[in-house]
Amino acid sequence: MDKTFETERSTSVSRRDFFKRTVAVSAVAAASILAPGSLLADDENIIHHTKWGTILGDECNFNPYGLPSEYEHNVVRRTSALMSSGGDMHAAISMTPLHELSGIIVPNGLHFTRTHNGVAHIDPNKYRLMIHGLVEKPIVLTLDQLKRYPSESRILFLECPSNSAAEWKGPQFGSLQFVKGMMSCSEWTGVRLKTILDDLGLKPEAKWMLAEGSDGSEMSRTLPVEKVLDDVMIVYAQNGEALRDEQGYPVRLMAPGWEANLCVKWLKRLEFGDKPWYAKEETSKYTVLTASGKAIQHFYANEVNSIVTSPCPEKPWTDLKVGDLVEIEGLAWSGHGTIRGVDISFDGGKNWTEANLKGLVLPKAWTRFSYMYRYEGKALLLQSRSYDDSDNVQPTVNQEKKVVGVEGVYHRNAICTWAVDAKGGVTNVQVRS
Amino acid sequence: MFKLDRKSILIGASLFASSALLFTGCLPSSTSVNEKTNASASSKLGQYEIKSKTAIDGGVTYVRANGVETAYAYNQQNTKGVSFGRTATPNEIKAWDRDSLHDGTGLPEGEGSVELGEELYDAQCVSCHGDFGAGGRGYPQLSGGNQSKDENGVVITLKNQRVYGKTEAPKRTIGTYWPKATTLFTYIRDAMPYAHPKSLTNDETYAITAYLLAQNRIKIDGETMDDEYILDKEKLAKVVLPNNNGFYPDIDGPNGPENVRAFFANRAKNIGAGIRCMSDCKDPGGIDGKTETAVMTIEYEMSDVKPPYSTVRDLPPEQEDKTISKAEKMYNVSCKLCHATPQMGAPVIGDVDAWKSVIAKGFDKVLVNSIAGIGGMPPKGGNEDLTDTDMKLIVEFMIDSSKKK
Repeated sequence: MDKTFETERSTSVSRRDFFKRTVAVSAVAAASILAPGSLLADDENIIHHTKWGTILGDECNFNPYGLPSEYEHNVVRRTSALMSSGGDMHAAISMTPLHELSGIIVPNGLHFTRTHNGVAHIDPNKYRLMIHGLVEKPIVLTLDQLKRYPSESRILFLECPSNSAAEWKGPQFGSLQFVKGMMSCSEWTGVRLKTILDDLGLKPEAKWMLAEGSDGSEMSRTLPVEKVLDDVMIVYAQNGEALRDEQGYPVRLMAPGWEANLCVKWLKRLEFGDKPWYAKEETSKYTVLTASGKAIQHFYANEVNSIVTSPCPEKPWTDLKVGDLVEIEGLAWSGHGTIRGVDISFDGGKNWTEANLKGLVLPKAWTRFSYMYRYEGKALLLQSRSYDDSDNVQPTVNQEKKVVGVEGVYHRNAICTWAVDAKGGVTNVQVRS
Repeated sequence: MFKLDRKSILIGASLFASSALLFTGCLPSSTSVNEKTNASASSKLGQYEIKSKTAIDGGVTYVRANGVETAYAYNQQNTKGVSFGRTATPNEIKAWDRDSLHDGTGLPEGEGSVELGEELYDAQCVSCHGDFGAGGRGYPQLSGGNQSKDENGVVITLKNQRVYGKTEAPKRTIGTYWPKATTLFTYIRDAMPYAHPKSLTNDETYAITAYLLAQNRIKIDGETMDDEYILDKEKLAKVVLPNNNGFYPDIDGPNGPENVRAFFANRAKNIGAGIRCMSDCKDPGGIDGKTETAVMTIEYEMSDVKPPYSTVRDLPPEQEDKTISKAEKMYNVSCKLCHATPQMGAPVIGDVDAWKSVIAKGFDKVLVNSIAGIGGMPPKGGNEDLTDTDMKLIVEFMIDSSKKK
């Protein structure tokens, strides 16, 4: 089946062939294409003038800061008491509506949000960043001074390592937004930390860096200097504008591919030292408890991962007719490197076929994949499995469970399964023992 | 390129050499699919020059040279000598550098008793963390849980796995899970109490830390922490929490970073990895040795989603806007263009003199005119969707906005 369609996509077909093939595939599909126009009802939206075409619109700068169409009011971040501390939404998380997104850039207002002590509101005029410890010259920077350093921009995904944490013991959420919505992807702009360190003079004995936030939780984490010197940035812009308050306005750390928690928001202080700090969020939390009773610490990278975004529970195939050729679409990402490819399974992982990548294929960024599928109106167990240039292949639920157990909370990257029923409805299930 | 791809798949396969028997049939099929990969990936899209595959996190690092790094061009000009900001003063560093290491370096002077800690805890912490730190209020549980260890020094209850009918969770409290006591002091002082962080003195923080350690039955130098026990920085540095050795890889000492690198180099063994089997694939089975897979469905569907799920595209429910009324919104859409600027000839909103003569006609007459049209103004200003009630609201708004205040 798959091979046939691959050929169909890559060859241009004559009109005659097109009809021949269409007829062969489905009588229903053929009927709808061949039905004479006079048999169909007229669409009122075409026959009559539309309302918006017959009145004056808003003044051009009516909204000096543009807003989405009012009709898009359901395209929003969502949360639940389960994503908070007993319903308290100051230490909580909100999920990106992945089912409504296109491409690889998330609008700033839809970027998922995780806070440990509420969203801080920082006066940029009073903002200061201190860099000290094992450097020759400890410094203090204002926001304007930080922006004086030459800037770089990178398109990078940001993912909370708790993404899918509720699913270790079984499927929990009947929506793509809650299954995988603790992640987003943006173009981030700021300064390579190495550029500043070249001026400050990092001492050779420096092995670790403490990054500390200035919000109420004083969020802090330890990072190895090796990463800092490779690609860590101090960013102040997201998709062309200042960071949103929820993303750490005016400045956050950006450790490409690594836990979003390490990308400390409302960044206040960077200290270099020769020992790790054992901050709260790298000991009691953000450590992966395995079945051995011991826990993995300093688990930095979000591993190779993928999810089918269309169809999904929110956007099922209930409108399709048998014979429709439809695009299966999804997202793949890896904090270890660049996505090399994605495989698709229709039978819950027994057999696999290759999907196509499309759009930009960038390191440590969302990558879109696509597979053209002839809808047959039968039940499927739809899965995607990604692999990257760092020799990682996304594991099955059992492959990951066998090593980690089910109490790890963080860093779950097992293959997801959508059960598509015979009517095109989609539910979240797991293929596991 | 063919060789590269082939190699990466073989490496993926060899990572699983120990369990390769479970994957019979994988290698031949992945090889044939491999050829397909190379046919479709004949361009260089997404394939970047790799500097090393042994980064500390187990991933790749990319070459950054000649102005190119992966898909990005970067600034090749000399940035040596770029220097902004100013030297931090010793007082500034002292004010912000308040962290402490687990050997006690950085801990401040001060002291506090378990007794005082209990008083402070009951006043400021109990509402979230429960009596004696026992949790139950939706916030982290700080004490309780069984600290007993097995013959290898592992806290036994941390091995609990809620799978196959077992329901007891591993408890992650200070006594069963946290590795370092100094973390407690720094975190309480900087981030607690939740609603008023940074309001506790160093003495008070020592007291609350002492209380929580006592609730977890921690001994310091073999000494039980009773109510009179007074904690200070020397004593805190001596605390060895029960799960001190419960974490890996070992990040301490000069080999810390190398231990981390070695750990993540073996990802298949240490964190789990998949394999690119393409046909007739078998799963390794569960941790109890079961190999039969099943489709598991959602047992309990979360219902308190905020805002509620919806993919409908319609207008949001009308909300009373505090700054702009419904009448003003309708005015903005349908009337403002003519009634906001003198050039249009219509009486300008807010122009008291111009509206005096309009108001003199009486409200009812003005409303009738607005509905039927008058002079150059079409009926309802040209927006037939407006009801007579809408027009009444708009006329009221315009008159009200054009009276002497």
